[in-house]
Amino acid sequence: MTHEASRLTPPSPRRGGRDAHALLCHLVAILLVFLALPAHAGTLGRAGLEKHFPPPLVVGERDDRIPVWPILKQEAGAYEIIAYAFESIDFARIPGFGGTAPDLLIALAPDGTFRDAKVIAHHEPVFLEGLGSEPLFAFVEQYVGLSARQPIRVGRPNARAAGAAPATTVDGISMATASTRVINETMLAASLAVAREKLGFGAVNTGLRVEAKPDYAPLGLAELERRGWVKRWRMTPAEVDAAFAGTGLADPDPGAPDEPFSDLTIAYLNVPTIGRAILGEAAYARLMREIGPGAHAVMVVSSGHWSPLPDDFVLGSVPDRLTIQQGGLTVNARDAAWERRDLAPDLPAGPWTLLKIGDAAGFDPSAPWSLSVKVTRERGQIFPEKIAREIATEYRLPPDLFTRAVPDEGPSWTDSWRARASELGIIAAALALLVPVLARHDALVAKSRPFGLFRLGFLAFTLGFVGWTAQAQLSIVTLVGTVRALIHTGDFGFLLYDPPSLLIWGFVLVTLVVWGRGTFCGWLCPFGALQEFCAFLAKPLRIRQVTVPPRLDRALRQVKYAVLAAILLAAALGSPLADTVSEVEPFKTAITLYFARSWPFVLYAVGLLVLNLFVYKGFCRYLCPLGASLALAGRLRLLDWIPRRTECGSPCQLCKVRCRYGAIEPSGRIDYPECFQCMDCVTIIHDPAQCVPQVVARRRGRRIVPRPVAAE
Amino acid sequence: MRSPPRPARRRVLLGAAGLAAATALGGTAAFRALASRRGLATRTRAGLAFGTVAALTVAGPDEPALDAALDDGFAAIRAVEAAASLLRPDSALSRLNRAGYLDAPPADLTAMLAFALDLARRTDGAFDPTVQPLWPLWSEASARGEKPEAAALRAVVARIGWRRVRLTPERIAMEPGTALTLNALIQGHAADRVMAALRARGIEDAFVDTGEFGARGTHADGTPWRLGIADPRRTETLAAVIAPFTGFAATSGDYQMCFSADRADHHIFDPATGRSPRDLSSVTVTAESGLLADGLSTACMVLGAARGRDLVAGFPGCTTHFIGKA
Repeated sequence: MTHEASRLTPPSPRRGGRDAHALLCHLVAILLVFLALPAHAGTLGRAGLEKHFPPPLVVGERDDRIPVWPILKQEAGAYEIIAYAFESIDFARIPGFGGTAPDLLIALAPDGTFRDAKVIAHHEPVFLEGLGSEPLFAFVEQYVGLSARQPIRVGRPNARAAGAAPATTVDGISMATASTRVINETMLAASLAVAREKLGFGAVNTGLRVEAKPDYAPLGLAELERRGWVKRWRMTPAEVDAAFAGTGLADPDPGAPDEPFSDLTIAYLNVPTIGRAILGEAAYARLMREIGPGAHAVMVVSSGHWSPLPDDFVLGSVPDRLTIQQGGLTVNARDAAWERRDLAPDLPAGPWTLLKIGDAAGFDPSAPWSLSVKVTRERGQIFPEKIAREIATEYRLPPDLFTRAVPDEGPSWTDSWRARASELGIIAAALALLVPVLARHDALVAKSRPFGLFRLGFLAFTLGFVGWTAQAQLSIVTLVGTVRALIHTGDFGFLLYDPPSLLIWGFVLVTLVVWGRGTFCGWLCPFGALQEFCAFLAKPLRIRQVTVPPRLDRALRQVKYAVLAAILLAAALGSPLADTVSEVEPFKTAITLYFARSWPFVLYAVGLLVLNLFVYKGFCRYLCPLGASLALAGRLRLLDWIPRRTECGSPCQLCKVRCRYGAIEPSGRIDYPECFQCMDCVTIIHDPAQCVPQVVARRRGRRIVPRPVAAE
Repeated sequence: MRSPPRPARRRVLLGAAGLAAATALGGTAAFRALASRRGLATRTRAGLAFGTVAALTVAGPDEPALDAALDDGFAAIRAVEAAASLLRPDSALSRLNRAGYLDAPPADLTAMLAFALDLARRTDGAFDPTVQPLWPLWSEASARGEKPEAAALRAVVARIGWRRVRLTPERIAMEPGTALTLNALIQGHAADRVMAALRARGIEDAFVDTGEFGARGTHADGTPWRLGIADPRRTETLAAVIAPFTGFAATSGDYQMCFSADRADHHIFDPATGRSPRDLSSVTVTAESGLLADGLSTACMVLGAARGRDLVAGFPGCTTHFIGKA
């Protein structure tokens, strides 16, 4: 009675992970050797620009500090500035969907409107060979006439016709959401960078509007001071001497020893509780009216021995001993020439200034800022050498005193996540359903017919919803972008713009470690699903599968690794060839563009589907670079999860013969890198009517009790 | 005295540069025929400088040499800007104004400042580079639709005086509260520097417009350069034409940056009063250097026609064109 003869091996830890890891390390090492960084800079130059701005326009001499060319027009002997032209890549290098930053030619008129916008270079896969570049060109054309002073967002296709604000919205392109967002960000970031330099707007917090809430509480000065809303800043002579330590310079005009060096009272006046306590209700209202919306007022009263507001301080000027700083930048603040008599009588006497901070300064009063004073001491008599030291104090108000309005609701990648929340939910639910089905071998998988129906249903979902609807066909292009980001740009932000794909990528990376590549290739690849459905045509068409001789089969399987290596190498070298070779994938043709593409691509994709009728999933097994990468990474798999019996392979060859992927060796061993997790062999092994050892045992009147054994 | 900035500066000298550029670009057949008979090509390049548009036109037989000359011309302009443009916070002059002193000043700055201090001495302070503190006072008041209060004006005028500046080749130092502007000279000096750079490249025919003007040789077709002086009240019409024009010319006028609609208050200040001089509408001076032409034209605006003529008479080879206030 030897029951040991027939044993099931349950999922067991696998060996060989270390080798695979070494292999990967090797591959990464090889890629890193090719750290040839291509120069990413504008390429047009004067001659190139003159083609875009022909006479009567004149391309002026390039700015000597930044790569910006004035575009001039000559009229009656005088030149007029039409625009400032520049290439976006010199100012904003935002990696596109393929990992390479697009380059746009932008001409910004002196008033901040876009006079011209053209695409110089881009590597957006969806446009390159798919939709063609015309929709992209048309997309960029939309900016002409819009103003860079306002945040511009990409709406849905036809958003403008559907009533979106035409000054702040451009129509998006379906199937190219991620790419258009990158173009939009590039347009705005580059233009604001140039506007900051040439047009005097485009501060850090552009678009952000922080305003004091209208709430008023009648608090006295003492209480405001206690809360720090009115700040009293007393600097001792010792603190100032410390700032001049090492210079050997003493205070030329020391006050009494117990007298503070300076004594400043600082207050942000826009908050009604503070402003009205200091100015009174009427003067507060007058001040707010006078400085206008979006501007800020800060009061500084100096009552100490030394004053940052000297006697020769000119009303209405920018004080040179007082600066307001925020986030490392100096905020432009100018004396507002306001009457002293409006001031609360209980404030200290002394010189004072009411500083106005303009709307365009990008000042955020809800965030901490600092006031610094410049103290100067002199060395020498006739030509004294001046030595200045800046000493600063921080001022902060509780953020809940303010409303913060960000015109564009958050950075644009969060938009895409919000907009696709329902798709994400459906895909997440499907994945949550898939996991237990695949994990529990004795449940649905063991029931041949219901499981077959489940599989068909799921594949239909993968093709119809994941692929054609949600556009979440994973692709080698993402890997190319990642390699480019890793080596060249360091910016992985592009991954965030395609939430459904990112969700599936996350899921695939987890299942890769548990089950191997099969979870994606067999269940979540829309093109794989399409092939599987096409394969049903083989029988009615009386097409017989071609048996690939084992040696040729083994050789062909290696081709996909060569394709992968070529693509990754090209990506690592920064070569555009990576995009070309990536066209080995028919995914864009078949899934992204629904076969609406130029005929060579359609012919290729359809050809692969026809090939599939003769050699089942020939593309997946022999050519697919994404499959190859997953197969490589799948070597990190932790579980040998397909149950085996000792009879498997010797003598039983049923599963090997029935495996449509050739992933079971004659020995019965599973070739996991080739396994598509179709579960056929798992179903067989759990089916007493199919599994040969079980059938034989039953005929002999025995029952086989599956028992776990250690892995080989 | 001029102060920065000069946005939307209107052109008052026109004609030659414009005609040259227009013909070079548009290329009338007759012009091309004449030019090619002389074997000369023409190149014009414009660019932004000193808050306005500068344009250089050169003619010569060797086209690559023309491009190289234009490169050098603009490099000279950038060097002058880096030395003394108040539009650039990082220029040597801006740094000097902030710190009150400057070690190892660039040669462009010392050359202009030495000339400015000398002219200030010769005009007894009618020309004075230390009027800069008047600028924020007037522009602020103007932004509010007002004029500066007399008291504030007096306080600022007290800080004006060219003797408050000490210049040595190694160091410039100023008394506290002093600020300099060389806007009255910077474009004329730039014209000198550009012309020198073009000559060093062997250019014989050139027309330089840096905001002030310089010319050498003739048009590519052999016709002389002409310089039109526009009517300050109707800048589209010419009040006079200087032809043939070689050497340098500079114009100061009340039309460029005005603080009042009647043009009584503008960007040229009388250092003694802190207000604009009332006599003239515009003065054009031709001289053998741009620096001299530019300085004299500003000084004449402050001095008025009679004393201005006396001043210019002390500089041989200079001519003046005065246009009084209407």
